Amino acid sequence: MIEFIEGNDAVVRGAIDAGCRFFAGYPITPASSILVSMMRELPPVGGIAIQGEDEMASIGMCIGAAMTGLKAMTATSGPGVSLYSENVGLAIMGETPLVIVNVQRQGPSTGSATKGADGDILFMRWVTSGGFPMIILSPENVQDCYTLTVAAFNFAERYRAPVFLASQREVGLTREAFNYEHAWAEAPTPLPRPVAAPDCVYEPHACPTPDHVSPMSPIGGPHLVRYTTSTHDQRAYLTGDPDVIEHMTNHYRRKILDHAEEMGIYEYDPQRGADTLIIAYGVCARSARGAVKMVREKGGKVSLLVLKTIYPMQRRVIKEAVAEVSRVVVPEMNMGQYVWEIRAMAPGKDTIAINRMSTTLISPEEIIAKGGLL
Amino acid sequence: MSVPDFDLSTVGVGVAQESCSQANSSSYLLPEMLPFGFCSGCGHIKIAGYLDEALRRLELPKNKVVLVTDIGCIGIVDKYYDVNAFHGLHGRVITYASGIKLANPDLTVIAIMGDGGAGIGGAHLLSAARRNLGITLIVANNFNYGMTGGQHSCTTPLDAVTSTTPHGNLEAPLDLVRTLQPSKPAFLARTHVFAEGQVDMLVEAIQTPGFALVDMWDLCIAYVGSRLALNKSAIEGMMDELDMPAGVLYRGTRPEYSAAWRALYDEKGARTPPCLLQVTGGSVLDHKVGIILAGGAGQKIRSAATLVGTAAIMSGLKATQKDDYPITVRTGHSVSEVIVSPDDIYFTGIEDPDITVILAADGLAQVARRLTKCSPDARIYVDEALADSVQTPGRVVPLPFAQTAKRVGKLTIAPVAIGAVLAREGLFPVHIFEAAARAMQKEAVAESTIAGVRAGLELG
Repeated sequence: MIEFIEGNDAVVRGAIDAGCRFFAGYPITPASSILVSMMRELPPVGGIAIQGEDEMASIGMCIGAAMTGLKAMTATSGPGVSLYSENVGLAIMGETPLVIVNVQRQGPSTGSATKGADGDILFMRWVTSGGFPMIILSPENVQDCYTLTVAAFNFAERYRAPVFLASQREVGLTREAFNYEHAWAEAPTPLPRPVAAPDCVYEPHACPTPDHVSPMSPIGGPHLVRYTTSTHDQRAYLTGDPDVIEHMTNHYRRKILDHAEEMGIYEYDPQRGADTLIIAYGVCARSARGAVKMVREKGGKVSLLVLKTIYPMQRRVIKEAVAEVSRVVVPEMNMGQYVWEIRAMAPGKDTIAINRMSTTLISPEEIIAKGGLL
Repeated sequence: MSVPDFDLSTVGVGVAQESCSQANSSSYLLPEMLPFGFCSGCGHIKIAGYLDEALRRLELPKNKVVLVTDIGCIGIVDKYYDVNAFHGLHGRVITYASGIKLANPDLTVIAIMGDGGAGIGGAHLLSAARRNLGITLIVANNFNYGMTGGQHSCTTPLDAVTSTTPHGNLEAPLDLVRTLQPSKPAFLARTHVFAEGQVDMLVEAIQTPGFALVDMWDLCIAYVGSRLALNKSAIEGMMDELDMPAGVLYRGTRPEYSAAWRALYDEKGARTPPCLLQVTGGSVLDHKVGIILAGGAGQKIRSAATLVGTAAIMSGLKATQKDDYPITVRTGHSVSEVIVSPDDIYFTGIEDPDITVILAADGLAQVARRLTKCSPDARIYVDEALADSVQTPGRVVPLPFAQTAKRVGKLTIAPVAIGAVLAREGLFPVHIFEAAARAMQKEAVAESTIAGVRAGLELG
C-alpha cells in the first residue's frame, strides 16, 4: 500500500495509530497542515481536535487533556516553540506525556516562513528554564515521520515527559512515496498508557529510586489527582525540603538519562578502513547518504552514523563510531549546533562542521568537498 | 474614589478559624491542611470558604470535581481541597481547564485565578467566553499583584497608588463582565467578599452548562488594604463610582461547547480515505531526473506536479515533490520541483534542473538564477510568449502552451506542458499519467487533465 504524501501527513497517520486522541494547535507555516488534518481525522476515531487562540492555549489544553487520560499532541514551528517554552517546563515538572512536533523553518524570529532549517536543535534541547533533559527525535523522510511519531508517543508515555519531533519544512512538506507495510513493520508497537491500580494509594510522582517512572491516574478517574507547576514532593504538594527537592530534580534528569539507550534510534554504517565518519540527522542525513554512496562508488572510504534520536544523546554508539576514525564531519542546516555536542565527545579528532542557513539544502557534493571525502 | 478609614474588625482576622470549623465530614476542605496560609484577614480566606459551601450544597462526587489554579496568592488555594487539583502557570488557568473539560465533559471544572491572571491571560478569557466551554471561573479580584509586592493589575482603579504606580495609576480598570458580555457566555456575575449571596451565585455558576464567570472583588490586606482601606462600604462605593454593579448581570443560552463539539463532529466527521496507488511498473528511465514546473498562482502547478510524481511511482520509480509559493497564495509564483529516479532519492534539491517548464513570468523569475547556471544539456520548455526572457546555456524549447490550453479548456496549461514533455522525454508511459489523473482527481477534472496531456503530446 503506497501513498504519495508529505511528511506532515505521515505525522498525522503515525499520531492516530499511536493512540493520539487529543490535538490542539495554532496555525503556523510550515506546520499548519498537521492542525488542518487533525481537525478532520481525529474526531472520527473518537478524538478531540481544536484550534487554540494562541500557542500558549494550544499546549496548555494538551497538558490538561493529557492529565485527563488522553494521549496528546501539538504541532508548531520555531516561533511557536518560543511561546510553548513555559508550558514545556510545566510538562517536565508535572511529568506530562506530550508530543510536540516542531516543523522548523528559517529563523531567527519570523525568518523565512516557507523555508526550511534545523536552527532549533539546541533551542529545543534547552527550551525550559531550569534546564532539564529533553527527548528529541529527528525524521529524515516520510517513513520516519510516521515511525518516529509513534516512537515519540511511546517515549512520552513510558517516561512521562514532553517529546519533540524535530521535523523541518524540507521533511514536513516534501512529498514522497509512503509505504504502509514498511511503516507498520518499522514502527514500534504503540504503548498503552500505564495506569495506576484503582485500589492503590495513588501518589502522582512516586519515585522510590530517581529513575523510576510511576504510572498515571487520569483526572476524573478512581483517584484524586494533584498536579502542580511548583517544586513538589511525590504527592504533588509544594515543598521547600532540600532533600526532597534534590530527589525530585534528580528524578526528572535520571528517568531520561539513565534510560538513554532504550531510546536509541540510529543507523550506524561503518566501512572498514575509513578514516572519516559523517554524523548526520534530519534532512542532512539524506545528503550524507548521497555523499557516502558517491564516495564508495568512486572507491573512497567513509563511515556514516545517522541519528534519529538526537536527545538523549546516544553516547555509547557515538563514542564507538568516533573511536574508529580521525575525522568527523557534521553537516547541519544551522550555523553549527549539534556539532558542539559531537566535539565534546570527540576530543583530539578533527571535527568539521558543514553549515548552511541560506534556505537551500546542503548537497552531497558539498559534504564531499568540504569534508575532504575524495 | 472615596477612601474611608480602614477598619480591620469589619473584615475580621478570625475568618481563618471560622473556615477551619467548616472542615467537618461533609466538607470539601482537607482538615489536615488548614488553617489557610493566606495573610490574616485576606479576602481569599472568605472565597475559599464560599467555594467549600457551594460544593457542599451541590454534593458533587469529589473525584469528578477539578479545581484549576494558577500563579498568584489565590493559586495556592487548591491544596486545601479534597478534590482533583491542577496548579498551572500564570494566566493559563483557562487553557488547562479547557483541555480537561474537552477531554472529559462529565467533570465539573472550576478555575480560580486572580486579576493578575485575568490580565496576562486575557486572550484565554475572551476565547473561553466565545466558546462557552463549560468551566466556572472565579476571579479573586483584589486589584493588585499581592504575591510579588503590590504592583498594579488590569483592574487597579485609576489614580490608585501601587508599588508600580507610585504617583497614581494612569490605566483604566478592566470591566471583566462587560468585556465578556458581547460573546454571550452562559453566566456573568459580579460580587465582593463582604457581600451576601456569594454561595448562591457560585452554586448557580457551577450548575450552569457553559462558561460562567464570577468576578469576586476581594481584599488584599497586605498591599491594597493598607492603601485603599477597603471594606464593605468602600468596595460598594468603588462599584458605584466605576459603574460596575454587583449581581448576576448576564445569562446566555448558547449551547455548551464540549457538548456542541461532540454533536457536530459525531454527525459530520469521517476519515479521509487514503489515496492508494497501484504500482504497475512500465518506466524504462535509468537515471535521476530533476524537473521544475515554474508557473503562476491559479495554474494548478502543484496538482500537476503531484500527478507527475504519482505517475512516476505507479510506473515503478521513486519520486519527491516540493512546492514553493508565496503566503499570499492567489498571486505570484507557483513553483514545484519533482525528482523522479529508478533509485532511492536522497538529496531532494534541484541545483541543475534536467527539465524546466516555464508557464508564467512569476515562475520564471523564481528559477532564473538556476537557469543561468544550468548545464548545456538542460531542456527548458517555455511558453512561446516568454521564450525571449529566458537566459540560459541550456536548450530552450518554445511551445504554444497557453494558446493550446485556451483551445483545450480551462486550467489545462500545466497538463498541456506535461504532455509535451512526456512526448519528448519519455519519463514514463502517458497512459500511466492518465491513470494517475483518474486515481487522484475528480472525474471531470481528470478528463480535462487528460485532454490537456493529449493536446500537449501533439505539440511534442
